[in-house]
Amino acid sequence: MRRLVGLVMALPVLLPEQASAHPAFAGATGFYGGLLHPLFVPTHAIAILSLGLLIGQQMPHWRWPIALAYAAGLGTGFAAMICAFPPRFSAEALLAATAVVAALVALARGLPWPTACVLALAVGTALALDSSPGGISVREANVIIVGTFCGAVILLWVTLEVATVFRREWQKLGVRILGSWMAASAVLVLTWQLAR
Amino acid sequence: MRMARTSLRAAVLLLLGAMPAAAHTGNLSGGFLGGFAHPLFGPDHVVAMVAVGLWGAFLGPPPMFILPIVFPLVMAIGGVLGILAVPLPAAELAIAASAIVLGLMVASAARPPLWVAATIVAAFAIFHGYAHGAELPAGTDAAAYSIGFVTATGLLHLAGIALGLTVRWPVGRIGVRGTGAAIAGAGVVFLWRLA
Repeated sequence: MRRLVGLVMALPVLLPEQASAHPAFAGATGFYGGLLHPLFVPTHAIAILSLGLLIGQQMPHWRWPIALAYAAGLGTGFAAMICAFPPRFSAEALLAATAVVAALVALARGLPWPTACVLALAVGTALALDSSPGGISVREANVIIVGTFCGAVILLWVTLEVATVFRREWQKLGVRILGSWMAASAVLVLTWQLAR
Repeated sequence: MRMARTSLRAAVLLLLGAMPAAAHTGNLSGGFLGGFAHPLFGPDHVVAMVAVGLWGAFLGPPPMFILPIVFPLVMAIGGVLGILAVPLPAAELAIAASAIVLGLMVASAARPPLWVAATIVAAFAIFHGYAHGAELPAGTDAAAYSIGFVTATGLLHLAGIALGLTVRWPVGRIGVRGTGAAIAGAGVVFLWRLA
């Protein structure tokens, strides 16, 4: 009897689950895990939302080049990760870029579109470098990366399209209020990360 | 013997219910809810935040919405000071004073220029942010916690604005100004308790 109990107690120890950096949520793995990753990691979500709001608020006519710059940033970051580039301070860089972008949303001052492209490139690169996949095999990690890329691009596009239709005065003010919330959150988390 | 068997069964059950450990959980429930609840369970924060929204109602749109934009941006500066443990003298006194000043502004239906209102709100925002930053509990998910308390703060402003929209009716105007007087009174109580 005791031997049986001992065996049963040993079973869970023999079936460990993989530890991952920040999973979207329990059970989300592979492509779908990557797809949902930007949505369920708070700092990533506010980075993408603030960039989407900025584009939709200030330069909807330039959304294609800015979104391409963002996608290029994501691609660069993921390529660097695949080439085993060790990401350092990527979380801090992402938070700093988010704070700037979200503060620009809150201030609602006109921004030249090339500057927005540079910011989008920075957000995309930092986001990718901060999204190291928790997969065990190279193939699994690559599938997660593809999922994360798709999720990050889709979330940005949805946000900027939604922000583009906000043309009434109260809607524009609502976007600015959201920007101020995200800027404040980014600044606080960045400080906490640096002070840790 | 029966006791030992029961204990073994309990131990087996507990082991079978084990959950995996993760480095950064991105835990939206614990961290977010903890941060969200933080301003809501501090009466001094609640009344001051609602007063910001109520005061905005007397300023009218669009300045009404400028104060809730200014407050979180400046509050973050105070939060930075709090997280870095930079000494800020009389922070609790200033928070209590914020309820008095903002309450009196609402009670008197003051309509100063926007920059004056924004400066007053910004000055108090530093102290409120400082308190939140200094009280950031160790071991929580800082991102979710910060997003939670910033969201709760913003929603309290919006609740104040929503209440303040009743100033278009005479009864509502009296009610809002009375609420302002009550907030100022609450501020006096907070100050008295600190003394």
